[in-house]
Amino acid sequence: MARTLADATRRVLGSRRRGDRAAAVPGADDTDAALVADLVEAIGADRVRADAAARYLASRDASIYKEGNAGPVCYPGSTSDVVECVKVATRHARAVSPRGAGTGLAGGAAPLGQPVVLSMTRMDRLLEIDLDNGVAWVQPGMVNLDLSRALAPHGVHYAPDPSSQAACTIGGNVANNSGGPHCLAYGVTSAHVLAVEVVMSDASVVTLGDLTAEPAGYDLRGAFVGSEGMCGIATAVAVRLTRNPPAVRTMLLSFDDVSDAATTVSAIIAAGIVPAAIEMMDQRCVTAVEDFAQAGYPRDAAAVLLVEVDGPAGGVAIAGERVADIARRNQAISVRTAADDDERARLWKGRKSAFGAVANVMPDYYLHDTVVPRTRLVEVLERIYEIVDRHDLIVLNVFHAGDGNLHPILAYDSRVPGTGERVQAAGREIIEMSLDMGGALTGEHGIGVEKREYMNRMFSAVDLDQQSRLRASFDPHCRMNPGKVLPSAHSCSDIGALRASDAAGVWG
Amino acid sequence: MTEFDEALTAFAAEVGTDGPVCVRGGGTRWSLGGEVAPGTREVQAPEGIVAFEPAEMTVRVRAGTPVAGLHEELAGDGQRTALPERAGGTVGGALMAGESSIACLGLGPVRDVLLQARYVCADGRIASAGAGTVKNVSGFDLCRLLVGSLGTLGLVGEVLLRTFPVGETERWVRLAGTDPGAVRSCYTAASVLWDSTDVWILLSGYAVDVDDDLSRLAALGACEDVDGPPELPPHRWACTPAEAAAFDARNGAAGPFVAEIGVGVVHASQPQPFRPVESGVVELNRRFKERFDPTGRLNPGRDPLRKP
Amino acid sequence: MHLGLDDDELVACVACGLCLPHCPTFVITGRDTESPRGRIALMRAVQNEGAPVTDDLIRSMETCVQCRGCETACPSAVPFGHLMEGTRAALAGAGRITPRWQRLALRTLRHRRLLLAGSTLLALAIRLRLVPTKRLGLPARMPLRRPPLRTSGDDVWLFTGCVMDAWQRDVHLAVQRVLEAAGAGVEPTGGAAPCCGALHIHAGLEAETKAMARRVMDGLSGDDRPILVDAAGCGASLKDYGHLLGTDEARAFSARVFDVHEWLAERLVELRSRRPVDPLDVTVAVQDPCHLRHVQRAHQAVPAVLAPFVADVVALDDDGLCCGAGGAYSVMEAELSRAIRDRKTAAVARSGATVVASANPGCSLHLAAAGLDVRHPLELVDQALSASRS
Repeated sequence: MARTLADATRRVLGSRRRGDRAAAVPGADDTDAALVADLVEAIGADRVRADAAARYLASRDASIYKEGNAGPVCYPGSTSDVVECVKVATRHARAVSPRGAGTGLAGGAAPLGQPVVLSMTRMDRLLEIDLDNGVAWVQPGMVNLDLSRALAPHGVHYAPDPSSQAACTIGGNVANNSGGPHCLAYGVTSAHVLAVEVVMSDASVVTLGDLTAEPAGYDLRGAFVGSEGMCGIATAVAVRLTRNPPAVRTMLLSFDDVSDAATTVSAIIAAGIVPAAIEMMDQRCVTAVEDFAQAGYPRDAAAVLLVEVDGPAGGVAIAGERVADIARRNQAISVRTAADDDERARLWKGRKSAFGAVANVMPDYYLHDTVVPRTRLVEVLERIYEIVDRHDLIVLNVFHAGDGNLHPILAYDSRVPGTGERVQAAGREIIEMSLDMGGALTGEHGIGVEKREYMNRMFSAVDLDQQSRLRASFDPHCRMNPGKVLPSAHSCSDIGALRASDAAGVWG
Repeated sequence: MTEFDEALTAFAAEVGTDGPVCVRGGGTRWSLGGEVAPGTREVQAPEGIVAFEPAEMTVRVRAGTPVAGLHEELAGDGQRTALPERAGGTVGGALMAGESSIACLGLGPVRDVLLQARYVCADGRIASAGAGTVKNVSGFDLCRLLVGSLGTLGLVGEVLLRTFPVGETERWVRLAGTDPGAVRSCYTAASVLWDSTDVWILLSGYAVDVDDDLSRLAALGACEDVDGPPELPPHRWACTPAEAAAFDARNGAAGPFVAEIGVGVVHASQPQPFRPVESGVVELNRRFKERFDPTGRLNPGRDPLRKP
Repeated sequence: MHLGLDDDELVACVACGLCLPHCPTFVITGRDTESPRGRIALMRAVQNEGAPVTDDLIRSMETCVQCRGCETACPSAVPFGHLMEGTRAALAGAGRITPRWQRLALRTLRHRRLLLAGSTLLALAIRLRLVPTKRLGLPARMPLRRPPLRTSGDDVWLFTGCVMDAWQRDVHLAVQRVLEAAGAGVEPTGGAAPCCGALHIHAGLEAETKAMARRVMDGLSGDDRPILVDAAGCGASLKDYGHLLGTDEARAFSARVFDVHEWLAERLVELRSRRPVDPLDVTVAVQDPCHLRHVQRAHQAVPAVLAPFVADVVALDDDGLCCGAGGAYSVMEAELSRAIRDRKTAAVARSGATVVASANPGCSLHLAAAGLDVRHPLELVDQALSASRS
């Protein structure tokens, strides 16, 4: 047994042949070998990877943050695997960082201090569809779109639809309280999660929330959703099923002027219409998207709005007409209604691939996710273009206009010296401008590590102290995904778990 | 970060920094979660609408404001909130009780209505949670934690609430002797109540859609217009939607009842027998209370675990 | 180690992750090391950051099926195929992948007579049950004798290739009959163009592939007849000569190459007007070979051509996810390959079809080894045509 275990550990740590120096792997010292051996013994060799390549990749997500530093990477297959991993990590004074598909844009999944990384991708099953209670129990690694596809035969879907929904996981959505275009009418993840089974930092398993409308006690479920992996590891999630609307109308409104598009957004809301979604893209973004999706977006319009209304057919027709009228009154140059599901799907595919399509313009991008009062969109957009021009950068605007959730994408080439600084400076100005307008730091991407130090700009010391109490109530010893969300002065000072995390070499 | 207005700072001063204290709203759910400990000082939250922005679909309001008055004001612009209206009930009271309106099916639960809260912490300082926008995930979600907390974690002084357009048409109808499950085909149903024989339905939406649903209902049985929902028995039971829909068969002890179909709440004549809560949840509740109110001065005697 | 990759191609990935659900190995393992995004990040780490080439990194590259499903899913148009081919070429050049025995085996593909004779021996060995066919992913029965190729005219070339000609010549003959039914005179390429080199480029043998490409081009030069290909992998390879060799001549050659379905889809009227045809009474699931769907992007021609000749054509609901064949992949990475195939067979089962149509011999052998009834789409068309003929 001991011998097999040693063999397995050696395999997991990576081969030492051909001078693949163990020394090049930071942390893969004797301490790590013992940690890895315990992890292997707890959940099996095929569920643990500690080699340089695996750790390098587990250190990053889709953000530009590259300073993450993963310890051993585990691929648990069950709640009890997760429990075992947390126990082993605790025994070795290591923190634990969960990870879904790594599509996050704020570095929330970038592990700090060589924690044990729990990649939840293997826990990807749909556990139960309970139509009587209008819920489905799913494992956290299930991909958002796979869930809605599996629900389709029952005439229901899972409403939150982040742009990354083809790849992102439900667990990641819960961690970030993710949004998406259709959250305008349907609400964000928090409104669609009824209960969560969580492995706590002390390795106990607790179910937060239940299937009743108003569970007894504090709304721990609500406090957990959006906690970016810092309050525990979700191992099963009860999501609300939303009935498919009987009718849907998707409209593409084109404008010669960005301000006209923004004014139209405010006018639609002011008219008391709550469409399922109102998305906006400016010309540069439309061009990038159209190159990939060929959805029929007009390349010559200064801005387009993608508006969807849904519900019973009568109301959809009325609301659709009203939206079209409002657009025309605001100088829309064209109002196009998707003729069928196919056209509708292509329009949405275009919209949802916008971030990736930026690479057709520039190889790198940095984006913010601030929210501003939707009545001030015109002003805010003018300010963004002004800031970006002043810093001699390129911006693509694509965002959830209906709820004022901006995504100004600063596209750049990091290989050009000095660009990074200009991008950071412009980003800071956009954030400060948004907050000065009465806005919020992030609408759906989360704080992660990237926006951590901006928290002081939005919240007072008292506010942050209250937030850290919430976190500490769940995880008094800061063992779960440490170092995120709260600015350094408000995060755990007792971070034995947050060991010196200096990246040593490129495999850091 | 904003400066807090005078009403809020005055409220904080009144709450002070020590000694047990509780907030009295309309007193409509005064005994929810237990009686306040004797000798507890009573304060009142400030009152008044601070700012209503119809084009933003939000309203900033002080916690002591009666919900009915607030809704009257919002109705001028064809809007309302998801808070339940109870005679004399206040905004703060409704949020702290955390009990949704009977039109929850259409309006959504109370826990989703709170966008930002300014509240007095146990140490007497004012904290702000959430943001001034309709969407926000900046930091931990204290707003969700506060709703339904019975004022045991902080005392809410001013809040920003999400508002909704009121349906173009709203009609209550009663359907005699129907299976309430059949009614779920109505997309405009904002409330479906069932007393084991009759079904009351609130239809809300565009007139054309409401008419469609009316004809759908008429096909199910005798359907008549009524002024509003039936009288609700006094005790609120927490059930799953499936339990509520099968309520009659299982609970002789409840007495006459009205069940909210599709939601799960049942209004019964007798109190709900104790529903066990798992020990991990009890322990977490204890830790939250201890962290947020170490001396136990906020609404002593109340415990959200003892709801409903 | 510099991998010799184009820097602009390498930086084009913004790590958005939209490729993940379209990568057969990530879908099975759930590990970033077995994902397109992860592989690109590792290539960057090696080429730009000087990271050491560890065995685990090599495993990450070797486990890629090279299906290129990630390319069609990529909003940034990252040319993953080029990056992976370049990486493998660098690794093979440094002797880190593609062992000697594999190189030798691949070399035989260039020698047509040797291959045909070897295949006959293999067929004999299989008949005598000397070879564990299941374990090696070989067909349970192989032809001992091959009917001769014949030329019926000079309108088009039919590319016959290496293994497919040795093992599945029946398919070529059926394809030829269908082309003739559409009014074309066909000349099989036979010895004029022995092997396209697809397996070689996958294994990182760039120089050999280039030599083979030149040989194929030489053999088929002298006219500008369309070159029709009934194996999706070969078609993709021939269409890429322009990029591989980077010459005008190669680009002109590639422009002459068509998947046979692509060519027939334009001539459906001719094909159907000859005589009334009774559709075969089968429900057929179309399996999209990756090199048809993701590389040639011509997969929609298959159901278009097939539909008039069978009772029902059903699409699979798996977004065209790879079947795991991947040329030599099913032998080199047998375990992963079978796990990937299991998802495909499940999709086929869900579709309710009894027959699977596959336009690539590698896929068809791999799927047949799992017990599915797999046919080349044009075999079915040929069957329907000859049934009405009689």
